[in-house]
Amino acid sequence: MEGEHVIETRALTRRYGRKLALDHLDLAIPRGRIHAIVGANGAGKSTLFRILLGFLAPTSGESRILGRDSQRLTPGDRGRIGFVNEEHTLPRWMRVSAVTAMQRHQYARWNQQIFDEVVGHYHVLPEQKVSELSRGERAGFNLALALAQSPELLVLDEPTLGLDVVAKRAFLESLLYSNVTDQCAVIYCSHQMEEVERVADNLIILERGQLKNMSAPDEFRARVTHWVADVPFKGPDPRTVPGLLEVQRLDGLHHYLVLDQSADFEAFLRASGAKNVQSMPVTLDRAVNAFLAKNHAAPAAA
Amino acid sequence: MARSKALMIQISTGDTRPIGRQIVDAVRMKIATGDLEAGDQLPSVRGLAQQLMVNPNTVAKAYAELTTEGWLDSRQGLGLYVATLRQRLSDAEREHRLDEAVQRFVNDVIPLDYTPKQVQERLAVELRALQPRKSA
Repeated sequence: MEGEHVIETRALTRRYGRKLALDHLDLAIPRGRIHAIVGANGAGKSTLFRILLGFLAPTSGESRILGRDSQRLTPGDRGRIGFVNEEHTLPRWMRVSAVTAMQRHQYARWNQQIFDEVVGHYHVLPEQKVSELSRGERAGFNLALALAQSPELLVLDEPTLGLDVVAKRAFLESLLYSNVTDQCAVIYCSHQMEEVERVADNLIILERGQLKNMSAPDEFRARVTHWVADVPFKGPDPRTVPGLLEVQRLDGLHHYLVLDQSADFEAFLRASGAKNVQSMPVTLDRAVNAFLAKNHAAPAAA
Repeated sequence: MARSKALMIQISTGDTRPIGRQIVDAVRMKIATGDLEAGDQLPSVRGLAQQLMVNPNTVAKAYAELTTEGWLDSRQGLGLYVATLRQRLSDAEREHRLDEAVQRFVNDVIPLDYTPKQVQERLAVELRALQPRKSA
């Protein structure tokens, strides 16, 4: 085994013209467990995966996947990585049985039992063509193929996008309770916090090509608090509010979502003239969304 | 043959309490109300994870916390059982925690502007509901 990280990048940078898609990114994702990667559109997730899978060269810096230089992956290395994307791209003209046979032939560690188990959650018939499958069936078939390959690393890019509730549930069940995932690290990109909360051991937040958070989802949630105060008039200049993510004035009360603030924040609000100050925890969804939206809320507080 | 007792609990995402916390709270509540009794076996980690559709690690952590706190006993190779009720904390620690909880409660309730009597009545109802309702 090569090291304890499935993914490791050092000062990884990718520039498109004047824009930095990845900005000296240092990322180390440990083996095992389910890691959710979250970021606004354009945060650098797709660029990161393209570089990691060797489809794109970085401008500078290094990236390793399963201990190998991601720019020099052999077919053998690729066999250790499973990949499922939102489009569930499979050859549309082929029959399910033919695709399965091809994959079985291609991957040395093919596990037929896992394939049957996962695909059994969906009404997928061997004689059907891929183009005849529904979106949910294609997602299930795709996941079954990826899991049967017994990968050491499974990358899922918005895998449940556009699936109905039934298909989504079947997909998550196959992922969470299959024995394969006990031995492999799963990278799960999703904007759906409801899913992230259910599945993720670790929450990775990317923003503008930089790593912003790496912790258990609940630890991140606990960093954000919601304060309500009757600050008079317009309230303090947003640029002076410590840790500000979002501010709203509702019915004369100021609502603040702040990051990494202790009880001292109450003192700040009182010093700004508030008489009543209350605070409460937030949901994961709210915490992540406020964090990702903070540049809209207070342009000057970088 | 040992059979685990059904654990009729719900969790919800989008709550301010993390899922693990919700499981811990729910199991403690089941024990406090007598729905779960000493010696009852809990569902397996995987079984409960699947029932609630959450990551098995989350259930494992919740079970570990309940075991550390003395609510559950682990029997080698057999699983987890509801522990015999005993006081799990020192007197000083109990008092400290009660103080903290009361302070928190009072702080939360003051701005709501109810009379002390109204609050006490409401609290009494909640506490009565916690009394074990054992019929047999």
